[in-house]
Amino acid sequence: MSRLDAARAATQHQKAWFAETARRARAGDPIALVNADAPHEVLRAFDVPYVVNQWWASIIAAKRLGPASMRKVAEAGLPDHSLQYDAMPLGAQDLPVEEQPWGGLPDPAFAIADSHGDVTHKIFEQWGRRPGTETYQLSRTGADPVPPRWWELVPREWETAFGTDRLDLLQGEIEELIGWLEERTGRRFDEDRFVEIMRLANEQAEWNRRTRELLAQARPAPVLVNDTIPAVMVPQWHRGTQWAVDAAHRLHDEVAQRIEDGVAVCPGERRRLMWIGRGLWSDLDLYQRFQEEFGAVFVWSMYLAIAADGYVRYGPDPLRALAARFVGLTDLLYVPPWSAEWYVKEARTHGVDGVVHLVADDTPGGGFISEALEAEGIPVLEIRANNADSRSTDAARIPERIADFLRDRVPARG
Amino acid sequence: MSDADAPRIGIIGDDVPRQLVFAAGAVPRRLLGSWHEPVTPEAAELLGTVDAAAGRVLDDLLAGRHDDLSGLVVCHDSQANLRIFYVLRILAQRGRVPFPVHLVDVPRVSANAPARCFVSRQYARLLDFCAQVTGNRTDLTSLRRAAEQERELGRALEAMRERRRAGDCTGTEALTAYLLAATEPPEVAVSAVAGAGGATAPGATRVHLTGSNHPDAEIYRALEATGDVVVVGEDHDTGDGAWLGVAADGSSIDEVTDALTDAHLARPAAATGGLAEARAGHTLRRATHTRARAAIALVREHDDAPVWDLPRQRQALRDHDIALVARTRIPSGDAAATAARESLADLRELLATAGADA
Repeated sequence: MSRLDAARAATQHQKAWFAETARRARAGDPIALVNADAPHEVLRAFDVPYVVNQWWASIIAAKRLGPASMRKVAEAGLPDHSLQYDAMPLGAQDLPVEEQPWGGLPDPAFAIADSHGDVTHKIFEQWGRRPGTETYQLSRTGADPVPPRWWELVPREWETAFGTDRLDLLQGEIEELIGWLEERTGRRFDEDRFVEIMRLANEQAEWNRRTRELLAQARPAPVLVNDTIPAVMVPQWHRGTQWAVDAAHRLHDEVAQRIEDGVAVCPGERRRLMWIGRGLWSDLDLYQRFQEEFGAVFVWSMYLAIAADGYVRYGPDPLRALAARFVGLTDLLYVPPWSAEWYVKEARTHGVDGVVHLVADDTPGGGFISEALEAEGIPVLEIRANNADSRSTDAARIPERIADFLRDRVPARG
Repeated sequence: MSDADAPRIGIIGDDVPRQLVFAAGAVPRRLLGSWHEPVTPEAAELLGTVDAAAGRVLDDLLAGRHDDLSGLVVCHDSQANLRIFYVLRILAQRGRVPFPVHLVDVPRVSANAPARCFVSRQYARLLDFCAQVTGNRTDLTSLRRAAEQERELGRALEAMRERRRAGDCTGTEALTAYLLAATEPPEVAVSAVAGAGGATAPGATRVHLTGSNHPDAEIYRALEATGDVVVVGEDHDTGDGAWLGVAADGSSIDEVTDALTDAHLARPAAATGGLAEARAGHTLRRATHTRARAAIALVREHDDAPVWDLPRQRQALRDHDIALVARTRIPSGDAAATAARESLADLRELLATAGADA
């Protein structure tokens, strides 16, 4: 099966973008390291390039540098067993440059994160202790309230979805972040540019929604999730640019063409699978490993689906809309009942026969997700492991357990 | 209504201004879990990978051990507690827990205007929740009465801390009193705190305890029973770090909640919400205030936040000639007492080496 041009183009673009960003940073331009839930669009409006910590962790893990990076974390006296996905880039920064992926990440001027969980803020604090890097931390509030069918509320009725108090806090902190960046960069926040960035981000999300709907209806599956992940996520990290809109548009058109051409990634598709949880960066080939023996194809991962449902925000106040984009983004994926009802909706629309649910140690209530799917008659295999740390995924015996699951619980179609 | 008859509101975590609960005519009871008992498969399944003490809190609730509560407040002061809230919110809807559940979410990342406004609203919502649970209207009179009650406990706790500092109260006695103060009605609490005392072992090394909190006094007892050490202070949230004995005044309910907000935002950094630098500074201040010669960090498995603080704590304490020994990733069960004994062995060795170097 040939790769999607959109995936290849996205990967090539990311490499070129990273090389240019690194060059700019080495020439003295400030760059930022951010976590995935930070309000990236503010940095774009300041023309400060940013590297997303989780994306960089995925590259480190894919290069099998996870264990070496975590050893560096341990050598600094810090725990190598705690939130490895977020901590890995911190350790990788201390690897010899020639061993680091893609020539290494230049030291960022800014490290910006929300205080998710018990440890993320401490990891970003460590970044701020490195020479030349300052940290800015945003508050993270709990998912309360959780009105039903969030995917129908978040585009416009975000006050109902997330609650005014949570939005007020994050909006206020984003306004303070803007002042913080103005002081440090000497640049003025360009509101007109910011409005355009928000418009482009919505346009990109709309293309992703159309693509997701094509794939939900398509039989057999015309693309690999290994391909849709980079084809969606690389543009996601460039959200708010024309390039990202065009990339999302190209992905849509390529998927539509494959459907029209009758392309099947798994000829003789007999089992349609959903992968819930973060991508298995340390073993991306896993997603294809069950095609030949079981006719099983992974047709769904959260990356396209959350890009379709989770990011779009329409409203007259762009800063409020930005706060509404990030105030509960992770909650949509991981907090029951929100997460459970969304996964059920997606499983139904994609005609899924079975679910592999990778439950990370930093996510709550995984059992409610599995329970909701099982209640719909969809069998679920729960695996508890850290997706980015090959030590953890090796120990979880993931391929063997998926094979047993398919054999025992997921009957073949027709 | 006497406190003995007053409705009980359970508290998970340490971000609740107890004055607001008392003012609504309820008695707060902190739910603490255990370091020693195993977590049942059901709680482990519901919560995922979490600190065993949090798992035990959920276990106790699911087993009906707190069914006498009229309401439950869960603080978002740790990821484990937030997960408990998410789980209980669903279980309460299903009728599995027989009382309403409420989240108190008061982040301490910064004390800026947006944070202050958010926290103040959270405390106003908490007051509403408590009033709904008890059916009592809260007014300035009830807030003033509650403030007096809580301050009386605060004065008793301060006196106990001074006795402890002077060597007239063991760590075990103090921790036991703190736990009673957090769980019992005011009269019982004040009496327990006022009565806390006990001669410390002559020549025992004064140690500061950091790391995970202690839902019971067994580890303290194991440490002090050796006669080698006396725990003169701690920075975790079931001991000196507990938010007890604090109250606020004001000419309106809003002024009181605003003042409690300021008090909350001015609290020393906690392990889960705080930064390592701030934690290290706080640990050092407490250790020097109590004239600790050494510090022991005991951290439960899956209570990750304190482990990130250790390098900075160690450095800050070392600069003041205070040795730190640490045991981390301690599983539940007997391993806790074993870890405590091992930490003592490490401490003896470290102090002997330091003595030889001197």
